Amino acid sequence: MAPRKPPSSKKTTDDAAPVRIDALNPTLDLAREVYDQLGKGQVPRMRLPLRTKQNIQFQLKEGVWRLGRATGTRSARKLDGALMLLRTFYLVDFIHEMARDRKTSTLRELYYISEQWKDAKFHSEDESNLLVEDLEVLCQRLREDFRLHPEENGASVIGDLTIEETNRKGLAKRINCRDDVGDGGYALPFNVEKEKIRFKGHGAKFVLAIECGGMVDRLAENGFDEAQDALLVHLKGQPARSTRRFLKRLNEELKLPVVVFTDGDPWSFRIYASVAYGAIKTAHISNYLATPTAEFLGVTAADIENYRLPSDSLTDQDTHALEAMRTDPRFATADWRSEIDLMLKNGKKAEQQSLAKYGLNYVTETYLPEKLAEMDVI
Amino acid sequence: MPRGPTLAEQLAAKQRQISVAEFFERNRQILGFDNPQRALLTTVKEAVDNSLDAAEEARVLPEVDVEIAREESGPDRFRVIVSDNGPGILKREIPNVFGRLLYGSRFHANRQSRGQQGIGISAAVLYSGLTTARPVRVTSKVAEEEAAHVLDLVLDTQKNLPRTVRDELELWDRPHGTRIELVLKAKYLRSRQSPLEYLRGTAIVNPHARLTFREPDGTRTTFERASTETPPVSKEVLPHPYGLELGEFATILKQSAERTLREALPKRLAGVTPRALREVLERAKLTGAEAPGDLHGPPLEGLLAALHEVSMLPPSTDALSPIGAVLIKRGLRNVLGELRPEFYAPPVSRAPKVRAGAPFLVEVGLVYGGALPADQPIQLLRFANRVPLLFQQGACAITTAVGAVDWRRYGLDQRGGAGLPVGPCILLVHVASTRLPYTSESKEALAEDPELLKELQLALQVVARSLKGHISRKTRRAYASEKFTIIRRILPQIAEKASGLVGESVPDLTPVITEIMNVVTLETAGPEGPNPAPGLTATVTNYTARPRVLELFVEMPPELLRASSFEPAPDGSEAGLGRAWWTLPKLAPNGHAEVRLRAAAGTEVDGNDLDWYVAGVDEAHLLGAEPLPGDWDVRLPRQLVEAAEAAEVAAAAPDADEGGEVDYDGAEKAAELEEDD
Repeated sequence: MAPRKPPSSKKTTDDAAPVRIDALNPTLDLAREVYDQLGKGQVPRMRLPLRTKQNIQFQLKEGVWRLGRATGTRSARKLDGALMLLRTFYLVDFIHEMARDRKTSTLRELYYISEQWKDAKFHSEDESNLLVEDLEVLCQRLREDFRLHPEENGASVIGDLTIEETNRKGLAKRINCRDDVGDGGYALPFNVEKEKIRFKGHGAKFVLAIECGGMVDRLAENGFDEAQDALLVHLKGQPARSTRRFLKRLNEELKLPVVVFTDGDPWSFRIYASVAYGAIKTAHISNYLATPTAEFLGVTAADIENYRLPSDSLTDQDTHALEAMRTDPRFATADWRSEIDLMLKNGKKAEQQSLAKYGLNYVTETYLPEKLAEMDVI
Repeated sequence: MPRGPTLAEQLAAKQRQISVAEFFERNRQILGFDNPQRALLTTVKEAVDNSLDAAEEARVLPEVDVEIAREESGPDRFRVIVSDNGPGILKREIPNVFGRLLYGSRFHANRQSRGQQGIGISAAVLYSGLTTARPVRVTSKVAEEEAAHVLDLVLDTQKNLPRTVRDELELWDRPHGTRIELVLKAKYLRSRQSPLEYLRGTAIVNPHARLTFREPDGTRTTFERASTETPPVSKEVLPHPYGLELGEFATILKQSAERTLREALPKRLAGVTPRALREVLERAKLTGAEAPGDLHGPPLEGLLAALHEVSMLPPSTDALSPIGAVLIKRGLRNVLGELRPEFYAPPVSRAPKVRAGAPFLVEVGLVYGGALPADQPIQLLRFANRVPLLFQQGACAITTAVGAVDWRRYGLDQRGGAGLPVGPCILLVHVASTRLPYTSESKEALAEDPELLKELQLALQVVARSLKGHISRKTRRAYASEKFTIIRRILPQIAEKASGLVGESVPDLTPVITEIMNVVTLETAGPEGPNPAPGLTATVTNYTARPRVLELFVEMPPELLRASSFEPAPDGSEAGLGRAWWTLPKLAPNGHAEVRLRAAAGTEVDGNDLDWYVAGVDEAHLLGAEPLPGDWDVRLPRQLVEAAEAAEVAAAAPDADEGGEVDYDGAEKAAELEEDD
């Protein structure tokens, strides 16, 4: 293991400034395009890939959701189209203003900001969220590039990973996610792109993404991260975009395998799926968010039997969810089919923490080592 | 050997006169007293119908006050008081009118009236007596007497005879009128079939009546008079031969006082001219000297057949009292005004037709939009001889005729293209006749007579077409208003924002505006400012890519034209027809011209009364005005305008909409699944 440098902090220079100006260039291209159309006497319009259900397909080869080739036109000939074009430019203007002032805004704040936009004011937060997604698609950028983020922050990380974060004061802080943080771990900011977070070294062999906070605490308290060279990432239920993006970067840049450890029920299977394959809503940025090589560790239906875990019966909703997953292209592999069928056959589900049946150390001393070995991770 | 009673004697012993009470019990449903809720409505209805008929006969504008109050004596007892300003009833007639079944003056008359059987109000009196054993109080005053008579009546159900239990004189502040007060077992509900709805309907079709209503909880509703014209009194007329049935015909001939057929036929039947009489007798192989009462069997049938075949004068329509298009509209506006309907279709009042020897006519009115619910079946208001029909809607010919129209063609939803359509609409249908084909004695539904259905259908189609016209004009207006919002508000802001972002000055938007609009528009606006003089301004704008010479035409009520002046002055006008026209100055793209109308003070200028036409551009590129109809023969620079229109049609550039492209904002976004952040 490489010797760790002591944490340091230094003021960044202007060329390492947190504002990636080039990220905003495509937004100006949009304005230029419409300006040129007006000059030529053409009715302003933009062409966008359709985000209809028919045009979002699961790419079997890549294992992620992707937008198809169908496009639609947003034209000023129609009132709705004209208003969305106008909103787009108000939004672009606002983004540039934030970049100048080094501000960021939550999506909800953006919705309220539009109160100042007169005719272009949003009628609902859905409308503003969709426009932000449209801009992501049009500019091939993430909303984080536009300094917009959801309210809830990302998850926490515990383990031997050293990062350098440019904090809100513009200072580059070097942080080791095991030694420089409290028991809560390192909290991911909403923007986990390179201009915000840079990887500076690690002593991990794999990433263990965990559904519940209680389980993260158990593993940390038992010293599992150090004993197994694991990087523990708390998913906090359905993972936020920044969490998924962070996992993707760990996987891609540090070549760390990602293993997902959740409860054993259909909803947890979907948590895994959103990490590995992405979600319909973010199909236009699957290449940023999805980690197709992520593997599911458990709790599996077979685990419930093999480890004789305390379980609950599946509810009607659970059964419906499992039935629906049979036609979900993300679960179309033989392994998932048999997993789903087995859970339906046994009619049981179990929580991660039910492993405590055998004592507090069972999960770190027996269950995880056995499962990880089975998966060839350790 | 003593002989027992014969069978006939035994039967005779069982036979007795059925009392009216028994008759009533057996016919409750027919009479409209089958449940307490309906009994209350029927009572109000019979009393109000009587009041209106009486007022009409006396040529006074009816004023009818209805009050329903809860009685303390029992939970389901109500007191009903109906008073009117009719001519009043002579004291000696009061017990008969109110206390005797089948007593009336209208039963045998061949003309249009509300009550026809003389059973109505006395049935209510009987019901009151049977359910509460309380006498009915009638107050009536005729103009010739100083005081009103107050009589308390009890109906002797065994003898069908009224008994007066109190008889007093009382001073009444009305010059004449009648008031009836009765207590009955009833139930008060505010439903579609409530007394309030009945009075509302009555007010619509009787705009000359003023109706007030006080509900048990004290709520007061007043339907003010919307017209001061009393409807013409319908006259009694002779039966017409067409549709006359054999039994009826035989009775007429038997009762005739004339000695010969030749004398009897023109006197006892309507429409039999001397020429028709000759032809009928010839066809029936009769001399005309036969005694009318002696005709039986085949000769009688032959005579009737001949009467049916030979063409006659149509029956006199004097017996009918149509409401008329003007008053239907006024009545609807008066009663439904609070719903603020956006459209009142011009009502249709069809010419009388004959059915079964009786003239009948159909009238239809329609209101649309406003506060009316858009997602529910339309409200159908059925009327027979100005009386609202509240029950048995499904069994009525009116409902059948409405359901047979394919309303989807006229802009309403209709499941499967049949049945009551769905939409923000109230449809009024009135059938008037000297003899209405009711399905039953309860007089709540009209039978499906083919001739009646045909007339209904024709009238319905006319209002349906006006509705369609309104909806398509509305769609065009919405389309125009959307386009105006884009070019006047949104597009300039888009240009400003986009230019600002790229750091350039805002380009000239005219080409984009004409590209988006590609029409010539006509907009009208009322005068602005405080207390403006009556008038309006029409603005014609050339939102097309090329300069145009246009002609503007307006048509309005001639009296309005006479009271108006224009700026600029018209290039021509025809005062008698209410028409004026202008040749507008040549309009460049995005250019406009105005014509201002100023009317004399006190004149009401309603934009809906003016029809605007524009020539010089084809219909597809005209918004807010219509192309000039063919019957105007006043186009001035004919060659110029026709050449322009011809060029337009030849170019016939289809609207340069994003052909075949998917509207991004019209496409449905993928439903959000379980994953989100």
